[in-house]
Order: sequence, then C-alpha cells, then structure tokens
Amino acid sequence: MSERAQLTTHEGATTFAPRVGRSPAFLTRYSSALFLLLLIGLEAGVVRFVVRDVRSADNEVQRMYASSVLGLRRIGNLQYDAQETRRSTLYALTTNDSNLQVLYADQSREADARVTAGIAAYLQQAQLPHEIELGNRLQQDWKAYLAARNEVLGSILEGSIKDAVAYDMTHGVPLFEGVRQDLEETQRLYDEQASQRLANVATLANRTVTRLVTVLGVTVLIAGIFVWVLQKDKMASTMQMARMQMDFAASVSHELRTPLAVLCSAVDNIADGVVSGKEQLAKYGAVIRNQSSQINGLVNQVILFVSTQDGKGRYTLEPLAVSAVVDAAITSTAELIRQAGFALEQNVGPDLPKIMGDLSALSQCLQNLIINALKYGDQARWIAIRASAEGGRDHPEIRISVQDRGKGIDRSELHQIFEPFYRARAAVAGQIHGTGLGLPIAKSLAEAMGGRISVTSEVGVGSTFTLYLPVAVELNEPSEAAGRTVAQS
Amino acid sequence: MIRYPAIIVVLLTTAALVEPMPQSLVQAARLKESLAIIVNRENPIENLSMAELRTVFLGERSHWANGRRITLVMMEPGQPERDTLVRDVCRMSESDLRRRYLQGLLTGEVLVSPKTLASPVGVRKFVFNVPGAIGYLRPEDVDDSVKIIRIDGHLPNDAEYPLKITE
Repeated sequence: MSERAQLTTHEGATTFAPRVGRSPAFLTRYSSALFLLLLIGLEAGVVRFVVRDVRSADNEVQRMYASSVLGLRRIGNLQYDAQETRRSTLYALTTNDSNLQVLYADQSREADARVTAGIAAYLQQAQLPHEIELGNRLQQDWKAYLAARNEVLGSILEGSIKDAVAYDMTHGVPLFEGVRQDLEETQRLYDEQASQRLANVATLANRTVTRLVTVLGVTVLIAGIFVWVLQKDKMASTMQMARMQMDFAASVSHELRTPLAVLCSAVDNIADGVVSGKEQLAKYGAVIRNQSSQINGLVNQVILFVSTQDGKGRYTLEPLAVSAVVDAAITSTAELIRQAGFALEQNVGPDLPKIMGDLSALSQCLQNLIINALKYGDQARWIAIRASAEGGRDHPEIRISVQDRGKGIDRSELHQIFEPFYRARAAVAGQIHGTGLGLPIAKSLAEAMGGRISVTSEVGVGSTFTLYLPVAVELNEPSEAAGRTVAQS
Repeated sequence: MIRYPAIIVVLLTTAALVEPMPQSLVQAARLKESLAIIVNRENPIENLSMAELRTVFLGERSHWANGRRITLVMMEPGQPERDTLVRDVCRMSESDLRRRYLQGLLTGEVLVSPKTLASPVGVRKFVFNVPGAIGYLRPEDVDDSVKIIRIDGHLPNDAEYPLKITE
C-alpha cells in the first residue's frame, strides 16, 4: 500500500481512515534517496566514531611514549649518575695527589646532586602508591649510601686508604647495591606501565575494529533488508495492480456482457421479425434503452474514475448547503433505494454551516457511498444518512455518514477497500456485481474537495462510511433552518 | 702666649675636617690582611688558642675532642698564607718545618702529616670533604661549606685577631 493510513479499533468495530495529501507518495517516490541519505548519515557517524577512536589511540601512544620513554631515560640517567658518584669516589682511591682526590670528590658530589634531583623529580611525578613507596625507598637508600660515600671520601682524603676500602666494603657496597636494586625496580615498573599502556592501545584498536565491523555489518544488513522490503513491496504492488486490472477488465466485461447480451437478443428478435406489433416493439425499446443506460452508466463510471485519478479534474467550488448535497445524492439514488426495498433514515443536523465544494462531485461521492451501502446492506435493508458539524471553532468541518447494517468488512480488508479495482472477498464470493471503483472514486472526489473519508465496520453488524468536508470560510453562517429526520421506504 | 692656642685651634680644625674611616671599611681592611683558620662544619670546635693551634699544625695532636682524626691542610710553599702560618703559628722557617715533619714522622714525634693543595679552592674543598681537616685561607676565599674558628677568642675581622698576612 502506497499510502499511510490510520487503523483503530473501538468496541469490536474497526475504523480505517486513509490519510490524504502528497507525503506518502512523495516518501515512496524518494524512499531510495532518503534511504541513501540515511546510510550516508550512518556511515558519517561511523567514520566519526572511528576517527575519534584512532585519535584516542594516537594520543594514548603519544602518552605512552612520553611517559615510558622519558621515564626510562630518566631512570637510565639516574643509574648512570649513581654509578658516576661511586666511580668518582673510587677514582680518588687510585691517587695520592690530594688535588686530584679533591677533584674526584667534586665530581662525585656533582653526580650525586644530579641523582638527588632526579629522585625528587621522580617522586614529584609519581602517582601510584607503589611508585611513591618505591621513590621514598630509593631516596632513603640513596641518602644512606651518600653518608657512607662521605665517610669513604673523608678517609681517602685523610690518606687512610685502608680505612676507606674497609668502610666501602662493609657499608658502601651493600648500600649502593640497595640503590641499584631500587633503580632496577623502578625501571621494571616503567616497563610494566609501558606494557600496560601498550595493551590499552591494543585493546582500543581491537575495540575500534570490532565497532567498525559491527556497525558496517549492521548497515549492510539494514540496507539489504530495506532493499528486500522495497523490492518485495514494489513487486507485490505491481502484482496486485496487475491482478486488480485483470479483475477490473473481467468485472467490466462481466458488467457489459449482461446488458449487451440482452441488447443483442432484443435486436436479433427485432431483426428476425419475431417482434410484432406496436406494443411489443415499445416493450423491446424500453429494454434496449434500459440496458443501454446501464452500459452508459458503467462507461461513465470508468471515465469518472480516470478523471479523478489524473488530478486534473475541473470542479466549480462554491459554498453549498449540506442539505442540498444530501438531497442531490438521495434524489439520484432514490429509485435504486426504492427498487432495493431499503429503508432510508436521514438526519441532517440543524444550523449546519455551508461547505465549500462542487455540488455534482459531492453528490456523486455520496451516491457512491449510498450505492455501496445498498450493495452490501444485506437482509437488514436499512441505511442511514446523517450530517453534523465537527471540530469546534478551530477546525470546523461537516461530517456526513452513510451507515448500513449489512455484512460488514473484515478488518484485514479495511485498508484495501479504497484501492482501485479492489473487490472484497465476500463480495466476490457472493457474486455481487461491481468494478471496485465506487469507493476509490468517492475517496478521490472527497480529497479533491479538501475532505476525506473514513470507515468504521464490524463483520455481521454493518459499516459506516463518513465523509468529512471543510466548512466554507467566507460563508459559514448557518444555512439549515432546522434539522430534518426523514424515513423513506 | 698666643701661638699655642692658635696651634691648638689649627690642629682641632684639621682633625674636624678629616672624616673618620667607616667601621665596615675598617673591618674589611682587617679581613683582607687576616688569615682565617677553617675546619669542617661537622667539627664542633669553635675556638683554639694560639698554643693549641701551634700544637695542631706541628703535628703533635692526632685527634679532635670528638674522636675524629686531625688532617692538616696546607697550601704549597711560597704562598703568603703559608708563610704567615709557618712564621706566626709554627714559629719557625719553612725549611725547619719540613725537616721537623720528616724527622718527626720517622721518630713518631709528629703524628699527622700535612696534605698540600695547590689552590685556596682545593683547600676549602678538602676541608669540606674531610670531617677532621683543618686548614687556613684568606677570609675572602672562605664560603659556607667550611667553618672559621676563633683564635684566642677572636675572629679575623676583630682588631685583636692574632694572624695577619704579610706579603
């Protein structure tokens, strides 16, 4: 179905109101383009996600490089300067020249100042408890070693080499070993952090790929489903249209065949001289005129349908009294109602404002609804036509309903009965003649007048078709002197 | 009779016109010509008498009161500072002092052999590095890394400070 519609159920009765306007057709026509835009939007969203993830990974790598590489370099410098502190101290052992010994002592102290500053910098940037604990331990161990180093240096400069060596072996070496282990542990900690960050980057990259693949997969799936649904819908629509056209051709042929057969038979009888006498000839003439009228009516209905479908119908819109429209329709169908033996209940509300429309078109619209009620009115043989005002001050409109107590329409068919050439299953099964054009014509005419049609139906209870028409803006003064309730047999 | 009062007036006027040297300049001048005795900052000693200083620099004392071994630090011969120390503290000539150290070390009479450094900076750094070291420097060569001790209760900027450098 190409139009959007509203289907509601109230106390067993189902209401169907086809939406009017250009949006549904527009959506159908440009649905592929809209879907393409949707896909592009979706892809843009995916690309945005991916770019964000890639940037995030890049930032993480940069952070990792800055933190780990610089950290490792800092630890490397600390290790070198710690060794330099000790090396310079030991150099002082290799000479008796006090000037050189002082020079080496100076070098040792310069190196130890760099180590002390490096440890302070490490402690300043340390955030994890383990890092802080390690930094504090390193600081303490380094101070302890420096105290031992000072003793050793003092002994060397005093000339007590033996004492210096002994003190260094008993204190300096183990304390420096502690410092060395602290530095190695710090380096190991940096390595672990670098590994962790590397793992984070890998996780981020994997997540990005997974997200990308998932979203692309979903996109492709949605696209596939959409194309499938679109193709299926189009195919179904095409097939349904072809089937309905075939049905239409069959219906029209069937509708034409009966009067044509009668015509042919009458004409043959006249030609063969079977008909004799003025009275019999007049009777045949009446039959021929009646059948010709049926054929003419059918052809007119087809022409009317075509004219309402091309959207180029020319109507004379004028303010109309609601009663005039209802009366025109009833007058046109009065003979049919009488022949079918239906009781007509008519109730046009009092003081109804005028409506804007074409009298002929609105009358035709209402006639189609009445004829429809007559066809499917079943054994109850009762129809009611009511008119009332709706919508209040903001959106005033006139509601004209045609109600029957016939078979009713199955809920599953409600959304199809306004489609051209559609025949309800019950109508086909019951061999009720029709072309499937009455309701589509009524709907098209209502929409051409700026109105709409809805239907409420319950199987076995009956149906109510309601025509909504806008109130004339210029002349909305009450035109009905009083409401009328007429029951006609 | 009139001549003497006139002379007195002239002398008083002259004395009034000549401004006295500022105290800071006086102290700076004293510092420049003094020889400061320095020790390691960890050394608790604050004052030595000239006699005690002489004992230390002649190598007759091996340890400080805190148990630290005494290390003598001297500059190379020929420097005014060393000349002042040898003359005013050791009260002998350079050659006598050398002989005394040489003989004393062999006989055990001298307990400490002096370390000789080439520059005032070297002396200062040596004293800074060795807890029991004692040396001497011009006051302008001294910084916070070492400590100046009093001699006979006087610091180098005191007028009564006994060690004055003679060029």
